Amino acid sequence: MPGADPGGTTGAKIVVTGLGAITAFGWGVAPLWEGLREGTTAVGPITRFDASLHRTRLAAEVPLALAPHGARRATWADRFAVAAAEEATRQAGLTPAACADAGVYFGSSTGGMLESEAYYATLIGPRARHARPSLLVAQQLNGPGDAVARSLGTSGPVESVSSACASGSMAIGAALRALRRGDVELAIAGGSDSLCQLTYAGFNALRSVDERACRPFRRDRAGLSIGEGAGVLVLESLAHARARGAFPIAVLAGEGEACDAHHMTAPHPEGIGASAAISQALADAETDAAEIDFVNAHGTGTPHNDLAEARAMHRVFGDRTGSIPVTSTKALLGHLLGSAGAVEAVATVLGLVRREVHPMPVAGEPDEAIGLRLVLGRPLALPRAIAALSTSLAFGGANAALVFRCAEAA
Amino acid sequence: MSYEPATATRIKRLLVEKLHLEGMDAASIDDHTPLFGEGLGLDSVDALELVVALEKEFALRIQSHEVGREAFASVATLAAYVESRLATVGDRHAGS
Repeated sequence: MPGADPGGTTGAKIVVTGLGAITAFGWGVAPLWEGLREGTTAVGPITRFDASLHRTRLAAEVPLALAPHGARRATWADRFAVAAAEEATRQAGLTPAACADAGVYFGSSTGGMLESEAYYATLIGPRARHARPSLLVAQQLNGPGDAVARSLGTSGPVESVSSACASGSMAIGAALRALRRGDVELAIAGGSDSLCQLTYAGFNALRSVDERACRPFRRDRAGLSIGEGAGVLVLESLAHARARGAFPIAVLAGEGEACDAHHMTAPHPEGIGASAAISQALADAETDAAEIDFVNAHGTGTPHNDLAEARAMHRVFGDRTGSIPVTSTKALLGHLLGSAGAVEAVATVLGLVRREVHPMPVAGEPDEAIGLRLVLGRPLALPRAIAALSTSLAFGGANAALVFRCAEAA
Repeated sequence: MSYEPATATRIKRLLVEKLHLEGMDAASIDDHTPLFGEGLGLDSVDALELVVALEKEFALRIQSHEVGREAFASVATLAAYVESRLATVGDRHAGS
């Protein structure tokens, strides 16, 4: 039975005690949840850089003008990460002293690429010698995690995960395992990515981007939309949370990871890696597939992903698949790439806390071939929701799944 | 060590603007305050930025080995260094 063996093989129960999110809906978890409930897509015309040469000109941009004061030389990905981590630790009631030994586990797919692109643009022009070195120095993928550690003054491990669009989920998984092993007592886990020309051009070149706002699981879906932002979870053992008087928001019950070993960009058509990751996450969480009350799907809106993901779900959930409410946060915020799993983990936890699944926009006929129960138009109340699944299915066939349970199960 | 006050003022403006020294205005920087560590608290990345900014502002070329403690100790030493470089024939067009 789930939760019946608190001292069992999976070790200590790990709980979420703080959430932070920076998205196109705004700087914070409150605007995120408001926007998700509203169900209107944040995908609109891109303004961050000139996209006139690309097939598409849309993105879900974080409102930079509303940014709080940031550290000198911080990239936008760093600033999203730091702001989300500060929000999450504030909610968790952590003082700087309490963070001193925390570990930071962070995902990113492009780090400070946006800024280094500005460096290279100068470098190839007539004023090459005027290219600012600090723009290049900030490029590395570990930038956001390092910035979080510096900002919070944590001196535990700082680990960066870059497994494409599963980075955020895998960083949360890395934190979960570190906590269970007892490597750390407190973990700041999440991901951050900013829009940049590399990924924008890359997904366009692959023709993976929809010329309209993405429409996950719909018959006329034609690709993803690109977004940006950061999501952060504060994680600790239930005992640690109780000892310091912190309130558990939800339980991070389990994580699973599996590779398709199939293709650079396409998922395995049957979603075998995805279903393996989901099954592992359920087993790790000591949660039966029948207990999952809703799914926050990877749901990019590409023809391949959504079908493969649906097949994976049918394999895991069997006859019950068509009755499980499914939503995709990407329908509203676009694909946050290296931070998608982190922001979607925040959205999944919020769904459990509020006992509500956020909707996707109504636009587009549901794809019959997919056979999922899509939450469309308005939030779906689930007063008895106990467990939820969040999936991240990345390029390279890197799949990750997270299972959260409501705090009452703690 | 002598230099024109105007050179020092240009360097202070560069420091504030190019290194994004928040909450600091050029007038508040003393000519003799150390740039690195104690004082303005600049670091190694700032040193790289400062070299690029100086090269651009004064149309100079600064070799890496020149970015030592001596020339880059303070606004005063930098101003003297820049002026000595500008006085050298051939430097004036080197940075363009």
